[in-house]
Amino acid sequence: MLNHFQTLLLFAFIASLSFAFLSKRRMGERLRYTLWAFLAFVLIAIAIGWLMYPFTR
Amino acid sequence: MSEEKKHVTTMADTGRGAAAAAAAWIVPGLGHAILKRWASAAVYFLSVSVLAILGMAMRGNVFPFSSADPFDRLGFFADLGTGAFYFLSKTFEAAGPDVSHAAGVYGTMLIATAGVLNMLFILEAFDIGRKTKP
Repeated sequence: MLNHFQTLLLFAFIASLSFAFLSKRRMGERLRYTLWAFLAFVLIAIAIGWLMYPFTR
Repeated sequence: MSEEKKHVTTMADTGRGAAAAAAAWIVPGLGHAILKRWASAAVYFLSVSVLAILGMAMRGNVFPFSSADPFDRLGFFADLGTGAFYFLSKTFEAAGPDVSHAAGVYGTMLIATAGVLNMLFILEAFDIGRKTKP
């Protein structure tokens, strides 16, 4: 089954795709929004992970 | 000078919106298919079904209505958003939930996310059916 990071990637992709279709009408806009939102999801999740790291010690 | 014609929502529009919303709840994406939004219908169906089925395959918790805990009750309403997938959960998750492992916790979140996402799709189907959204 999926590990935590794989689950994060799947969730980020599906959420990004869904919000793109909800907020944009043209396919080009939807694809650009999906990519932008996916990258934002993943990068922010990794950043938050590192911010929490000092508190694990 | 041209004036923009503002569409006045009729009872027929509201009925169409309600029907699309009901269809979108019971089968994710069906409401948009009825409204001939084929790409959205396909994406919404795949999104909800992948999240829900994967969540159940990971033995996530599917919350019942009968739970007294308020957070479990919230989880029930989230899961109910998946429509048919909620009622078919015993088929997809024959072994039952197992949240003693991390995969089960992730699965619980995926199922709830599927339901909540479908609620957004239901609202959009309602708005498109009522012609309040292009």
